[in-house]
Amino acid sequence: MTVDFLIDLFSKFIDVPVVAFLLAVTIAGIPLFVLMALNATVAVYVERKVSAFMMDRIGPMGQGPGLHAGKWGVLQTIADALKLLIKEDTVPASADKLLFKMAPFIIFIGAFLGIAALPFSSVIQVVDFNVGVFYIIAVASVGVIGIVMAGWASNNKWSLYGAMRSAAQIISYEIPAGLSIIVPIMMAGTMNLQSLIEFQTGSVWGILPNWIIFNNPFSFLAFFIFFISAVAETNRTPFDIPEAESELVAGWMTEYSGFRWAVFFLSEYANMFVVSGLAATAFLGGWQSPIPGLFNSPLWGLFWFLGKIIFLIFVMMWFRWTFPRLRVDQLMHVCWKVFIPIAMLNIFGVGIWKLIIG
Amino acid sequence: MSRYFTNIYDTVNTLWTGMRITFRHMMNIRRDNVTLQYPEERWPRPERNIGFNHGDYNVIRSRLHVDIDDCIGCYRCERACPVDCIKIDTIKSDRGEDIPSVSHTGVTSNGTKKGFVVSRFTIDMSECCYCNLCTYPCPEECIFMVGGPNSSKHPIDYEFSEVDRKDLIYEFAKKLTPKQREGLTKTDEKAEA
Amino acid sequence: MVLNIGPQHPSTHGVLRLEVMTDGEIVSKITPHLGYLHRCFEKHAENVTYEQVIPFTDRCDYLASMNSNFGYVVAMEDLMEIEVSERVQYIRVIMAELNRIASHLLALGVYGLDIGAFTPFLYMLRDRERILDMFEYTCGARLLYNYMWIGGVSHDLPKDFEKICFEFLDYFEPQIEEYNNLLTYNKIFIERTADVGVIPADIAISYGVSGPNLRGSGVNWDVRKDEPYSIYDRFEFDIPTGTGEFGTLGDCFDRYWVRMLEISQSAKIIRQALKDLPGGDVFETMPKKIRPPKGSIYRRTESPRGDLGYYIMSDGTPSPSRVKMRSPAFTALSCLDEVSSGWMISDVLAILGSLDIVLGEIDR
Repeated sequence: MTVDFLIDLFSKFIDVPVVAFLLAVTIAGIPLFVLMALNATVAVYVERKVSAFMMDRIGPMGQGPGLHAGKWGVLQTIADALKLLIKEDTVPASADKLLFKMAPFIIFIGAFLGIAALPFSSVIQVVDFNVGVFYIIAVASVGVIGIVMAGWASNNKWSLYGAMRSAAQIISYEIPAGLSIIVPIMMAGTMNLQSLIEFQTGSVWGILPNWIIFNNPFSFLAFFIFFISAVAETNRTPFDIPEAESELVAGWMTEYSGFRWAVFFLSEYANMFVVSGLAATAFLGGWQSPIPGLFNSPLWGLFWFLGKIIFLIFVMMWFRWTFPRLRVDQLMHVCWKVFIPIAMLNIFGVGIWKLIIG
Repeated sequence: MSRYFTNIYDTVNTLWTGMRITFRHMMNIRRDNVTLQYPEERWPRPERNIGFNHGDYNVIRSRLHVDIDDCIGCYRCERACPVDCIKIDTIKSDRGEDIPSVSHTGVTSNGTKKGFVVSRFTIDMSECCYCNLCTYPCPEECIFMVGGPNSSKHPIDYEFSEVDRKDLIYEFAKKLTPKQREGLTKTDEKAEA
Repeated sequence: MVLNIGPQHPSTHGVLRLEVMTDGEIVSKITPHLGYLHRCFEKHAENVTYEQVIPFTDRCDYLASMNSNFGYVVAMEDLMEIEVSERVQYIRVIMAELNRIASHLLALGVYGLDIGAFTPFLYMLRDRERILDMFEYTCGARLLYNYMWIGGVSHDLPKDFEKICFEFLDYFEPQIEEYNNLLTYNKIFIERTADVGVIPADIAISYGVSGPNLRGSGVNWDVRKDEPYSIYDRFEFDIPTGTGEFGTLGDCFDRYWVRMLEISQSAKIIRQALKDLPGGDVFETMPKKIRPPKGSIYRRTESPRGDLGYYIMSDGTPSPSRVKMRSPAFTALSCLDEVSSGWMISDVLAILGSLDIVLGEIDR
């Protein structure tokens, strides 16, 4: 069920190739969009509940006559989404109108394009790139343009601060992320995501699955470096300086309300989904099941893949509600002086390991 | 150089300890939950074992209430209020005499003879600072905060929000028409004359 | 660039406007603008009687209301030369120390919130709620008590207050260990607060800073030990001072650490007071009419923010002629400019949080 398959299908019925292509692409994009919306809904609800449980309180609940927010508060997100849609659409008078309106959508595009390359199962993938890993890392940087546009166009000093910090942060943390993702590429010898997953079949010593994370200590470390850099790329605590609530009100998102803010929010959760997806694919075996040999059908594959992504998103939320945030220069220090040396060491180490142990 | 590595080790160690604590709290939510889901569950008023006999009727802060039939018009609560939210007007009447036309009883429930008809007793609850200073000086214990130890006189009420601020000005005295008011003052002057 | 950390901001502790002159991220000058919460406390005090001033003193420092009452009442009793009974003294000390714990819990929780840790705030507030429930049990109010009256207290302690209080203390002292593991020893928190915003001891003294801010800089000054009032000289407790073990002496971490240690010391005082609590009547030393002789007095007491002073001038009438409150948070705010020049904006907020200001007390 890739786009190629759909294009072949439609070109059998429609003569004009361009129309077939466009139709196939649109139809392939709809489930992705639905997935993004579902992801945001579920992720917001889970975040509120998880944060509440960690703080000894219960989150949104629905009780009493009429069950106004559904049992356990499941309808709360829908109510919030509706509220955001009907809010007044304010544009500050002295803001740069074109950039202001375009910014949310550029960030959205960055996140959306990333989902298109993820392998959900052995047969479900929208596009099977030959340079899948490279593509996702490249597309994740498109978001920075949107953030800087949002901060500048708001004509607000606080937004400008947030945007500048965010630009510095995201661009810096691309480097350890990219260096860490080279480790699985080196080991598997390919950048194609499906081939990466197929490299991880089988098992080690009969019980542990042959995932890259369990292969050698350097790749174990590489997973952590990659994951923490990914958290920094999505502007989550402990790296949420750009949207630091207690310092900058809401950072670069301050002037946005209603639907535009909803788009920002949606793209933050979509970003989390994409980087978790990449971490799950490259290090945790993608749609492979953790019990080697069992539960390996394509439908089970979808289940395992989504399960791993949900686990990684839960860990990101766990980080957010436990740690304070880092200051900007400490962030930079951690990136340039701690992560990059360790990431380079990892590449070196994996190379030597493969050479010696094979 | 070794400081670099001890820093990394400390960081990972302390961060992991913190994560364990929040995870433990998350797992124990059923036992540790402190939220009260408000309209359905209410915090019960604590049953106080007061055990002493002075002024125990004052140990609650909620809405003020006046039993107007017991009020002798001594103005002590109005003088005690720090923010001047109580306003009282009285008209002199015969001591201990009932005046049925304005439903005024001459004697309070404690047996004290009243010398005044209270024509206006307004408390502006939006100005009240809930300091409870007005309840102490009242000789007849007729002004009190409802509920708690005073539940026998008036059930508890701490949810008395109103839509319009004017509705928070409570009037406790019985309304007198201008004719009745004239009649009372005339009796008053006739008595003096 | 001139930045306004404006009156409406999630992280200034009240309505405070800081006009910050920055050069990129580095701050060069801060001008605080006050007065957004001015409610004419001192003018009101001139128009009401002495016992009616007490609800107004509650509302100045609304987080440590018992201590504000305590200061006023101690000054008045000195002026009128009243000796209160032993039971009243013990009850006052217990209430003041409980309120000190509650105020410090809030200060530490909100400081964690400023730094970005959302969870310790809720844990500390959960424990503070238990203290507020104890206060509600005693006098009916949770935050603004009007409890300490001239010559006594307004309500006697309920019969099982001691049992409840001991239960609370036994539950609470292990919780401090949990707060330390979650926030205090957290490496990110230490990185954010150690070596930031150092107030050297001589600058602190010259600005008139007092309380935990001064003790964080290493100066061992506490009004409860150095000019004891009420019965504080009967209790055994230590005065924690900053030691600079995680950074320099006098940085934000030291002030935070001093507050954390003071909570345990207050718990110690409460245990000692509860054990020795005498019986008796709390209302026997209350004067019928409060008419102090002509004269004036200035007394200071230790509130959780520092050195709280009351200057009361009376001219023989039932209403004071002048009441002035010397607020410790005001002097703490005044040294913000000197301490924070050269740091970044995130650090300014960290320093402001560590000074623990309450705008109600600054603006009165």
